[in-house]
Order: sequence, then structure tokens, then C-alpha cells
Amino acid sequence: MSRTILEVTDLRKHYSQRRGLVSMLTGQGRVIPAVDGVSFYLRENETVGLVGESGCGKTTIGRTVLRLSDPSGGRIVFDGRDITTLSRAELRPLRREMQMIFQDLDAGLNPKMRVRDILREALTVYERPSDAGIASRIRELMEQVNLKESKLSNFPSELSGGEKRRVGIARVLAVRPRLIVADEPTSALDISIQAQVVNLLRDLQKDLGLTYLFISHDLPIVELVSQKVAVMYLGRIVEMGLAERIAHQPRHPYTGILWSSLADKQTTEVSRRVRNVTVERERRAWGVFDFEQPASGCRFAPRCPLYKDKGRPAVCTDPASEPQLRDVGHGHVVACHFA
Amino acid sequence: MDAPLLAIENLRTYFYSRAKRAFIRSVDGVSLGVARGETLGIVGESGSGKSVTALSAAGLVTAAPGVISGRIELRSNGARRNLLDGLENYARVTEQDGRVVAVEKDERGWRKHAEKLMTGVRGKEIAMIFQNPRSALNPYSTIGKQLVETIRLHTNVKGESEAKERAIHWLERVRIDSPGLRFDNFPFGLSGGMCQRAMIAMALSAEPSLLIADEPTTGLDATIQSRIVDLLAELKTETGITTLLISHDISVIQRLSNRIAVMYGGTVVETGRVAEVLAPEAKLRHPYTAALLASVPTAETIRRKSYLQAIDGEVLDTIEVPRGCRFYGRCNRVTEAIRENCAGVEPPLGEVAPGHKVRCWLYPAVEGKA
Repeated sequence: MSRTILEVTDLRKHYSQRRGLVSMLTGQGRVIPAVDGVSFYLRENETVGLVGESGCGKTTIGRTVLRLSDPSGGRIVFDGRDITTLSRAELRPLRREMQMIFQDLDAGLNPKMRVRDILREALTVYERPSDAGIASRIRELMEQVNLKESKLSNFPSELSGGEKRRVGIARVLAVRPRLIVADEPTSALDISIQAQVVNLLRDLQKDLGLTYLFISHDLPIVELVSQKVAVMYLGRIVEMGLAERIAHQPRHPYTGILWSSLADKQTTEVSRRVRNVTVERERRAWGVFDFEQPASGCRFAPRCPLYKDKGRPAVCTDPASEPQLRDVGHGHVVACHFA
Repeated sequence: MDAPLLAIENLRTYFYSRAKRAFIRSVDGVSLGVARGETLGIVGESGSGKSVTALSAAGLVTAAPGVISGRIELRSNGARRNLLDGLENYARVTEQDGRVVAVEKDERGWRKHAEKLMTGVRGKEIAMIFQNPRSALNPYSTIGKQLVETIRLHTNVKGESEAKERAIHWLERVRIDSPGLRFDNFPFGLSGGMCQRAMIAMALSAEPSLLIADEPTTGLDATIQSRIVDLLAELKTETGITTLLISHDISVIQRLSNRIAVMYGGTVVETGRVAEVLAPEAKLRHPYTAALLASVPTAETIRRKSYLQAIDGEVLDTIEVPRGCRFYGRCNRVTEAIRENCAGVEPPLGEVAPGHKVRCWLYPAVEGKA
């Protein structure tokens, strides 16, 4: 079995929001627990998918495990080394091993620089290769991401969405990373281009032995590229396991709803059943979750069809018993009292 | 068959790009009809011209200097009007072998005339819902006020309290919780899904003949998306409103539409009944439609963890439109027998089965006509 490259334990990231004069003076504001006690690990050369609605903390996790923002609690171990509290200087050599592909196609592409210079800059951040060395690496990178060399003299504004995404990927590959956090890498692209990029990311993983944390709300694509999938709700992982189990035998009611909300033909039998039960029931109550009114006990209870079916059991809203992830076999963990 | 409620004939909407000194042919000869009571779904990638088609129909293309020509005919309340009537008098278009090379336009006159044509149509006869509901709502006014304004302007209900009653009724119809309370909310106090519901209520409250829904679910969360699709499906059954639905998401189109038009590079490449065009066993499909459907992961691809069938190349740039088929460069179905045609002559939109048209040289019906 390949070794663990990233291990995250009880990760927390709280943002504090200060509004108005009083809270500014007293230094007290609302605390928004964007990530609230999340644990998972990634093995080398594997892909873990992270899914959930917007605002559930997916991107925050991605940024925090790379130490692009500082965690409020918990532990991040990268390749056997605790990086939770490393200083910027100590982090610097590690940065090249862990990179991020941002959702925004223009992120990292300086509009005033040609593609060649963007790649050259990325190649010379950590090393001082010779001019010939740079040229050959640029050629290699362009080949890896299937871009014509003629594009090297283009400015980002002259590239299409798919080409920008490829340059962004080439730029990340330039430092030879081992772990890549891909934050919605396809969501800004057209359907016909999405497939190209997904295929490319999978090829690169095979060829370069990359490890991906794949953040997306596109469930079929996550299921396709990932070995394991973690489903998040309001800052916590509510279910995690092998991709096909999460997709076809979801245990947590939220996962079932998430999958069934794909207006797609290939929804599984299970989720269809879940959907039939829930649709009518939750139609009215199905608001949008809200950090401002945190539910006590299970966070999902206010929207949970199971909670209503079971006659609103007290355990679901008991502040002392927030459901914890428990093993239901086959490495599948669920945080629900009734799953 | 009844005359369609909305008939678009040979619509061309071009924009001029100063940077490139050329015309962007966003919509390039589109003909479509939306029959009374049906939903026509237009699907396509960005730059395919689907949104510009809808905006042209709603008279919302104002960018100067641009060209808009063709006919957009709306038949409602016994009246029949061409929404582009007389606009050609304000623009002089110079063409060279079928391509627009220059436009002289009396911008002010054009705009004034266009506004006159749309008066009493936009908002009243044709209502629209947009992709980003929050930016389409007035941030300085409550949901209720905006609804009341729409109702008093466009319907017979003129009294304040009566209009309020009607507004709350509409909020209820789009399944907004505690409509009486939401009535006094500002858009920023509502979630994205809720704003979209409010906007749907606003569009429908004018009791329009035609609803144009431009990417109504894009940008919303997956769970919210399916709620909005459910809502639109229910409202469609309840009100029977004629809808022109624009989406890049085939599954949304499939769920809500009776007929579908697939657009690529400013033209319609395939149109027909949804059940026919998207049927899994459909044989006579445009290669682009087929490729689009194949690039979405299916249960089978996921199970076998196989590659997605990507479409090579990039979306067509509608500035330099090729002479032949617009999809030629990316097409994987070109055979030696038709290659010459594909590269040199744009195929017509030919009928391959009753009501099912495909713009491709592969199909005999098309060849026969050429």
C-alpha cells in the first residue's frame, strides 16, 4: 500500500466577523466555523474528492491544508512532517511540493505576461536553471498539457478558457509538485472542454504520480476521478468512503439528497428512493443552511428528511450529542445517528 | 398546426469588436419557432449564441455598433408584430459575398425606434428571468415593492392593496416560505435560490405570453438547482406558459422542454422533439450533439473508470467563421465521401425525420436538398 502523503486531524478554521462599533471595540464578533473538526488523509498517487454545496467549507479546507490560510486548530501532517505551525520561511521549500489549481481561470496568469514568461517565472522560483534548461522544460510542460508551442507568445487574454486552464496547470507542474489541490478545476469551463481537462488531469496523475485533493460540486466527475469521496456539510465531513459506495450506497441522508439532486438519468436506485421520500416533505423546509443559526446537535437536522420521518427524535437536536463519524464497514464512515 | 407564438426567422445579431476590427457573428442566421404552450430549450456552449438569441427576442441587445437583422414575430392577444420592424432603416449594411463588412448606423434613431417597438412588449408580453437573480433585482427596493410595481404596471390590478395581495399570492406560488414576511425583505436578505424564486414570481406576475428563462439554474448549488427545476416544471403545468429556455445543461433542457435546439457557433445545428433528439438510441444525430452527450460521464464510464470522450479543439470563434461546416475542425464523423462538402460548403438544416432537422452532410435528407 502506498504511503500517506497528507494527514489532516481535527482541522478547524474559524473566521471572525466583526460588525459595527461595539464589536470592534470589544474585540468580540461572530465566529464563523467554516471548517469545524475535519479529519482525513490522502495516500500517494490517489485522488480524494471533496463535495458539498457552496459555503460548506470545501475551498477553505483546500487552502488551509496548503497553509495558504492558517488553521485555527488541528494538525496537518505533510509527508510525515507537521506543518501546522511552520513559519513562512520554513514552509517555503515545502510549497513547491504542494500546489493548488484555482477555480478562477485567470488566477496566477499575469495579464501583462506572455505564456512563455509565465512559465519561465514558475520555473525559476525555486531553481536557477540555464536558459537551455528552461527552454526544454517549457517545451516539456507544453507537451504535458497538450498545448501548441505557438501559444507561448500569446498573452492570457488571447487564450480560450480551456487553454488558460492548461497554462494554469503547466504553471503548477513547473515546480514538480507531489500534491495538488484542485479547486473546481472544471467548473468555469464549457462542457466539451471539461472532458478534455478531466482526461488531462488523470493522465498527469498516472504519468507523474500526483496526488489530488479534488474539490468539486460536479458529482459525476468527482465519482469518476476519485478513489475516495468525502461529503461535507456546514464545515464537517458527514460521510466518507470509497467513491462508488458514496455514489451508489450512500448512508447519510444528505449524501442521498445531494446525489439525487442531479437532474440526471443515471441516478442510482437508492438515491431515487431517497428522493421520492423527501422531495415532497422537504420542499417547503428546504431553505439554505446558515452559519448564523447553528443547529444544536446534528447540523443537518433542520433540513433532514430522516429526522422528520423518525418523528423528530430528541437525540438529533441534543447539543451534547452531535453525531460523530462512525465506521459502517468497508472503510465507509458516516456521521448520523440513524444511518 | 397553430402559428407559433414566437417565430424567429433568419436572425442575425453581430457585434463589432474594435480590438479585432471585425464582426463577431454571435447569432448567424437562426430560425426558430416556439409554439403556444410549449417549451423550447436552446442548448449550447458559451459563445454559441444561445443567450444573444434570447436577448435579441427580448429587445435587449443594445451594444453599438452592431447589426441585428431578420424577423422576430410575436403573435399574442390577436396582434401580430415583428419586433425588428423598420429597424433596417436605421442601419446600412455593406455585404461582400454574404459577409457583412461594414455597417453605418444611426445609433440614436435605431435605439429610439427599438424602444418604441418593445414598449408594451418587454416585461408585459415577454418576461425574462436571468442567470444571476441578485443582480437583476433592485437592491434598494424590497421584493414586495418590486412585485407590486410589476403587477400594477402590467396587469389590470391597479389598487395598491389588491396588488399586494396578488404579490403575496405569487410569492406563495413560487413556494417562498412565509410570503407575508418575505414581502418586506430586500434582495440581499434572501438566498440565491430564494432570489431566483422571487424573480420567477416577478416575471410571471405580469402574466406574459412568453417567458424567456436564460440559464435559470446556473450558478446555484446542486440541491437548489434541482429545486428550481422542480418549481419551473410545476409552474409550467400550472400556468401552461410558453417558454424559451436557455441552458448549457442538457439535463435541465431534457427535464423541462418539449423541443430542443442545439446551437453551435451562432447557428442551430439540430432541432427536434426532446424525446427524439436525446433518445439514447437516436441514430440521426448531429455529431456535435452526440459528442456533447458523450462528454458527460455516464454510469458506465464511471464504473469502468474509462476516459471521457472529449471533443477535440476549442469552441468556435465566431469572428472567423469557416466556409464549410462550423463544426468541421472538431468533428470526428467526417468521412472521405463528404469531406469536400464539410470543408467547403455550410450544410443546410435538413429534415431527417418529421420535425427533426440536422445541419450535417452525413444525412441523406440533407444531401438530397443541396
